[in-house]
Amino acid sequence: MAMDKGIRQFLFPSLTPWFLVRVCLVAIFAYLFFGYVFIPIRIQGTSMEPTYRNGGMNFCSMLHYLFSKPKRHDVVAVRFAGNRVMLLKRVVALEGEQVEFRGGKLFVGGEELPEPYVLNPCNWNLPPREVEKGSVYVVGDNRSMPIENHYFGQTSVKRIIGVPLW
Amino acid sequence: MVRLRYVIIALVVVGLGLFAVVYFSPSEEKRVRKQFDLLSEYVSRDPDENTIAMAHKMQKLGSLFNDSCELKIAVEVLSGTYTREDIASYAARGRARFPKLSLGFHDLEVTFPESGVAKVSLTARLTGRSRAGEQMRETRELECLLKKSEKKWLFSNIEVIEVLRK
Repeated sequence: MAMDKGIRQFLFPSLTPWFLVRVCLVAIFAYLFFGYVFIPIRIQGTSMEPTYRNGGMNFCSMLHYLFSKPKRHDVVAVRFAGNRVMLLKRVVALEGEQVEFRGGKLFVGGEELPEPYVLNPCNWNLPPREVEKGSVYVVGDNRSMPIENHYFGQTSVKRIIGVPLW
Repeated sequence: MVRLRYVIIALVVVGLGLFAVVYFSPSEEKRVRKQFDLLSEYVSRDPDENTIAMAHKMQKLGSLFNDSCELKIAVEVLSGTYTREDIASYAARGRARFPKLSLGFHDLEVTFPESGVAKVSLTARLTGRSRAGEQMRETRELECLLKKSEKKWLFSNIEVIEVLRK
């Protein structure tokens, strides 16, 4: 009987002032948490396949780079437009390093970079270029398309806002 | 006592009047934002739009721009200075390829770096369906400069922010 009452109270709580305060606190917490800490994202596009599938859901962890900087091989969210559109890419080179594609292979600092996450072979060629200060070089994992159709390159570290949660 | 009541009522009425004037009179920022609403309205189109409506919209579209407007974009062929007639003409040609087209602006941040100049950072989203049935969805971050001319804010500079540079 007491159990029934407890369940009923949980499912249909009385609208007491304390209950309303709790609802407000939960709403504020959810707004801050999902608005500024773990932002829900929907993945559109195939540039990070097979690591991240088109149409998948994830969260962007905004605190990841609060006390650290992006490292090579990190998958990062790059702020693309406004606060709601971001690009999901992988960091392949850091500032001051030289990047080039030769016959589909990625070379950083003149040495071939092992990329186990790239499953689709490509024949991309890109002359060497140095990553500017305060920037990183990002590329998607899916290289099956022609190089002209893949959006990649160097971007300011300031534009990197977080990482996908999983 | 009666006099005090009249004084309070008069104060409330004056307060509401002032609030209404401040709230409903268009501030400079609202005027700038209005230009983006108009640009969005003139560029967007429905499949059933007739030729007269299209011509009217293009004429209105040209009037939103300065005598010469500079476009900065990573595609060098498109970068340059355009007259308002050029812009209307290019827009008409572009629109003709898409029976359904929608241009939206989001996350507008308006600042006034100097008198008569407004700088706006925003996200532009262009979606449409071509005559062949292909879907188009482009999102870009833009930085626009509008200059005030005869009480009208006119677009004088549009820069497409390059997030990734190969």
